[in-house]
Amino acid sequence: MTMTPPAPPSANSQRIAAARAQNAVKIYGSGDTEVTALRNVSVDFEAGKFTAIMGPSGSGKSTLMHCMAGLDRLSSGEAFVGTTPLSSLNDKQLTMMRREQVGFIFQSFNLVPTLNVRENVTLPMDLGKGGLDDAWIDEVIRTVGLADRVAHRPNELSGGQQQRVAVARALASRPDIVFGDEPTGNLDSKTSSDILSFMQRAVRELGQTIVMVTHDPRSASYSDRVLFLADGEIVHEMQNPTTELVYDTIKSLGD
Amino acid sequence: MLKLVLRGIRANLGRLFMTLISVVLGVSAVSGSFILADSLRAVFNGISEDAFAGVDAQVRALEPELSSSDLTVLRFDDDLIDEISELDGVNYAEGGLFAFEQVYSIDSDGEIVRPQGPPVFTASWGGDSPVSSFTLLEGSAPTGQQVALDKAQTDSGGFELGQMVTLSLPSGEPGQFELSGIIDFGEGGTGGAYFILFDLPTVQSILGAEGEVDSIVVNADGGLASEALLDSIATLLPEGLEVVSGEAVIDESQEDFGSFISVFGNILLGFAGVILFVSTFIIRNTFAILVGQRTKQLGLLRSIGASAGQIRRMVLSEAVVIGLLASALGLVGGLGIASLLKLLFSQGGGGFPEGPTEIRIRTIVVVLLVGLGVTVGSALLPAMRAAKVSPLEAIRDGGKTGRTNKFRLIAGAAVLLPGLALLFTGMFGSVDSLSLRLTCLGLGAALTFIGVAMLSGLFAGIVSYKIGAPAEQVSGITGRLGRENAARNPERTAATASALMIGLALITGVSVLAASLLRSFDALLEDSITADLFIFEENQGLPFSPVLIEQLDALPETDLVAGYTTVRALVAGEQETFTAFNTEVGDQVVSFNVVEGIAAIGEDAVAVSEPEAELRGLSIGDSVAIEMEDGFQTDLTVEGIFEENGVIDSDWIMSIDFAEPHANIAGIDYAGMTYAEGVSPEAGRAAVDGLLRAFPQLSSQDNSDFKETFTSQINSLQLLVNGLLALCLIIAFFGIVNTMALSVLERTREIGLMRAVGMTRDQLKRTIRWEAIIVSLFGSFLGVALGLLLGWAGVIAIPDNVISKIGIPWVQLAVFLIGGGVLGVIAAFFPAARAAKMNVLDAIASD
Repeated sequence: MTMTPPAPPSANSQRIAAARAQNAVKIYGSGDTEVTALRNVSVDFEAGKFTAIMGPSGSGKSTLMHCMAGLDRLSSGEAFVGTTPLSSLNDKQLTMMRREQVGFIFQSFNLVPTLNVRENVTLPMDLGKGGLDDAWIDEVIRTVGLADRVAHRPNELSGGQQQRVAVARALASRPDIVFGDEPTGNLDSKTSSDILSFMQRAVRELGQTIVMVTHDPRSASYSDRVLFLADGEIVHEMQNPTTELVYDTIKSLGD
Repeated sequence: MLKLVLRGIRANLGRLFMTLISVVLGVSAVSGSFILADSLRAVFNGISEDAFAGVDAQVRALEPELSSSDLTVLRFDDDLIDEISELDGVNYAEGGLFAFEQVYSIDSDGEIVRPQGPPVFTASWGGDSPVSSFTLLEGSAPTGQQVALDKAQTDSGGFELGQMVTLSLPSGEPGQFELSGIIDFGEGGTGGAYFILFDLPTVQSILGAEGEVDSIVVNADGGLASEALLDSIATLLPEGLEVVSGEAVIDESQEDFGSFISVFGNILLGFAGVILFVSTFIIRNTFAILVGQRTKQLGLLRSIGASAGQIRRMVLSEAVVIGLLASALGLVGGLGIASLLKLLFSQGGGGFPEGPTEIRIRTIVVVLLVGLGVTVGSALLPAMRAAKVSPLEAIRDGGKTGRTNKFRLIAGAAVLLPGLALLFTGMFGSVDSLSLRLTCLGLGAALTFIGVAMLSGLFAGIVSYKIGAPAEQVSGITGRLGRENAARNPERTAATASALMIGLALITGVSVLAASLLRSFDALLEDSITADLFIFEENQGLPFSPVLIEQLDALPETDLVAGYTTVRALVAGEQETFTAFNTEVGDQVVSFNVVEGIAAIGEDAVAVSEPEAELRGLSIGDSVAIEMEDGFQTDLTVEGIFEENGVIDSDWIMSIDFAEPHANIAGIDYAGMTYAEGVSPEAGRAAVDGLLRAFPQLSSQDNSDFKETFTSQINSLQLLVNGLLALCLIIAFFGIVNTMALSVLERTREIGLMRAVGMTRDQLKRTIRWEAIIVSLFGSFLGVALGLLLGWAGVIAIPDNVISKIGIPWVQLAVFLIGGGVLGVIAAFFPAARAAKMNVLDAIASD
């Protein structure tokens, strides 16, 4: 486990970043209603790491994730997935990038209700032209413990099972990076532990890169590194977090 | 509460817009038919008043009880003119003689000059007299070898004042007349008809009515015919004539025209009814979806204290606002439709006179009632469902409380079964009157539509899933998603498809009827017609001079010639219509399929159709008491019994040689002939056409011409009817657009999710397009299937002498199905574009 100092990364950084932001600024609205969601944020998301982004609501954590994932565009600065600057992509290219290089786990409503478990998992690949790696997909589904549910529709699954399908989908296309937006925010603590442990294993055993937005210190403790955002800036960073450490940091930042 | 209603409407403006359009279309059709009929009536009332302005009294023949011709007016001695002129109080009396489709002008190319549709009148004109219906535009009134024509005819024939105009005359010898004047009828135009006017003696000689007139019009001193004057005229009249006041003449002519307008207006109203019927499905569906989508909001209202009644009233109030708006717009739309139709008619040669557009209070009231009634009526069920929303549903997440399948099955069957029963009653029941049978069919069809629409929710899911199978094969995941979406809400798919189903069912039914008509006609030609050539007046089947029959018979190229005409006579005291012709040869020209006795009946005999013989208990050798038009009574023997037949469309046949002296026969309706042996069809036809040059209104047709003419007539009728029914398809189209748009909105999050995980805009559009295509195809399949049922029902219900065989227009049916799919593609355009424009983040974050 490498220790990453909380220093702004440079363009010619030697480390392999799955995604990074450079002087990211995001401003919503204009004039009187202008809100700055991100103020000059620069950050690397290292490949093969599980990063948590924390911060109070309005801190810009979701905005940062959305802009990194190609769901939203920065006002200035640049976001990279791999080495691709996202501002250079048009809508179609962004869509392709999301389909092939990025995985998503949302807080809720992750699945298309008309598709069964397996179809939901393969959806991003089905949208593309490439063939399916059936063995890999079966493995992913087995790993999330839904092998006996492949033909079920989302409404036949519990909330936890639905989130596991979402995780499987995010991993199935072997994306460069997976973004989670409060992926366990709607789950009870037992189920949420299951999901988070699985995400952790995906990083440690499969070498996946995951970035997760959360406000729950316990969730953040599953990550390798926690970024703390406030008022659109990264105010603190922590390696190898524990629930208590994260909790204390939040308290101290709040004061 | 009102505030909530208005807010609700404003929030759902786009969604309600499509609903509005469908109501507006139906209401426009209703108001359009009223406005058009009222305007036309007003204009023609004005024309009647103009035309009969100076007529204070009219002498004419009483309508005989028995008349072989509905067209000719009985004529009487013109000596009466002088006698009436000499009466005290009479300022002026003029005799008139009138006929139509007897004389035609011929242009320099030798072509007949006639309007498309409206008739050509021949009349006497006494010049600028106080009773004249005509106004001189140019030149002078005709005298002797002169003629006056109306403006349109003059222009169309390229005639100029003072030139000699060739006229075709009933004698068969054309005549040359100097064009002395150009006239107008009344002051409002001729309504598209052409007029050919001469002085009275000339008309009398042309029409072979020397010394006769068919009316005498009287202008009284002081401009009003007193009772005393009418009485004193009446004393002069022989039996069979009557005198009526000028006002009565105007009233009658207005009434005659009014009844024509009413028929026309009622046909339009019928179509309007169909459109409104289809609209109700769309309105109901839209309100149902809107209520469904607002379940949470309604639950919240309930939980903060709104009563079920208030919720119901809230939804209904929305319907009221939509209904009022639709009525207002429909009135305007009706104005547009009425003006458009007027324009179409006048461009089609109808020459509709200019006149004010009449919007009566009655029209406004009807439009309001219809617009409100249809909208509120359709929203009733959704409103009741909204009222049932429990406060808990504000908290619960989108739990759907649909009706149980069992309930739907029972309710649907309760409507469908009586509908089918009515259909079968119309088809096979012992209902004698055709109009009653057709009424059964109509009601049966309406109930069947509603029943199937209700039941189709039960199988819409599985069927549309099956229909969508190729979509998945063709375009993979987008096809799969479209297929799933079409099947995911069966009730909605069924309701959306129902409007298309009804529209296409009607169109298919009409097409099946048309194809069956053609097939039956083919069979008829093959079975019954041995004639090589027929002659008749193509426009309106008007009778022509018997002179031509003699001339045809005299041609060496012809063998058997038979002229057919209509005669009315009393059979045992009851009026019956006879087809009269030369019975010696008639059967060899047009077979009337004698099943008993002989076809070549004698002059003292009749032939009777099988059903009529059965009805009257007649058999061969029986005698029947006949009273002819002139009062002549005799007994005729039944010598033949024939099958009902589409060519001879009467139940009775008699010899024309017997009928002629005793009936006022207007002329020959049609003539058929066979060629002499060794005469080629070309030579035979050339010889006959040579004779026809003197009768330019007539045309000769052989079997293949017949088929062609009939086919083109049926085709254009089918096109017209289906053109009007296509309005239903427009409404169905809006219905699909509306549902798709609402579904897209409802699935915002799902769309956002799919976009997030890599669905491109094009793929999203394709998904929505597939869904619309599948929904449309579901409606199309049902519609075509129901249309086949309706067509079959019509074929069975309509008597065999009109339609004997069912014809199925396979190619057209295929076109309808494909067209249904195309409709889906177009309908998906707007919702798909809208969905593609959604911002991914907003979509994901939406509620």
